[in-house]
Amino acid sequence: MAVRVLVADDARFMRQLIREIIEPEGFEVVGEAADGRSVVEEFARLQPDIVTMDIVMPKRSGIDAVREILALDPGARIAMVSALGQEALVMEALQAGASDYIVKPFKPEAVVATLRKVAEKER
Amino acid sequence: MDPVKYRNLFLEEATEHLGEIGRALLELEKDPRAGEALDLVFRLVHSIKGMGASLGYDAVSDLAHRLEDRLGRWRARGGIDEPGGLPLLFRCLEGLERMVAAVRETGAAPPPEPELVAALGGPAAAEPAPAKKAQPQPARELG
Repeated sequence: MAVRVLVADDARFMRQLIREIIEPEGFEVVGEAADGRSVVEEFARLQPDIVTMDIVMPKRSGIDAVREILALDPGARIAMVSALGQEALVMEALQAGASDYIVKPFKPEAVVATLRKVAEKER
Repeated sequence: MDPVKYRNLFLEEATEHLGEIGRALLELEKDPRAGEALDLVFRLVHSIKGMGASLGYDAVSDLAHRLEDRLGRWRARGGIDEPGGLPLLFRCLEGLERMVAAVRETGAAPPPEPELVAALGGPAAAEPAPAKKAQPQPARELG
């Protein structure tokens, strides 16, 4: 059965790119969110297996969204999407409970490997 | 990855973002401590950096990265607290607009003006990446 993924990023470009990288590898993108508030709502509605979470988003940061999602579901599996220069924020997200992270610009094989690893984590 | 499709997506989103940045700069001109406007500019510049890096437009991602660092320092200090700050932001906006226009016309982004790069200063030194187990290191990279 396909791993169900919710993709959160304020850039359509990035949402589309993640979708194109992971869908041929057996993941199913069940939803997209463009801000840190709607990702929490979509998580509650869709109950995905994994969330890919951009850090810099409008309305609420990706890190705040991680905290809210984990408050709803402590077993939620979230992979942060980070960029050059965001190392401290990635650490903060991991400390907040994110499972792992992927780095922009994306290396497709690394994205897939990381998401597979996150999907295998115990809930 | 279809480069034409993603170039078009970049052009569409970057053009929207630059328009929004321009409007936010007008807000900041009225009030250099307008936190929401500064946050918006930061987020949009960050987004342009990510898209530029993904398509290999190094000039775009480099200028955006330097600008993002400068914006981050202003955010930490509660606003634009340097007399030359806003003019510098407007020059960066023009520089990014020129690059996006060049991508539209030629498919490549020209380097930014050296004076602009010098005025912004270097991007913050990269911190060590958080500890992570070794990942596959593929040859191809979307960026």
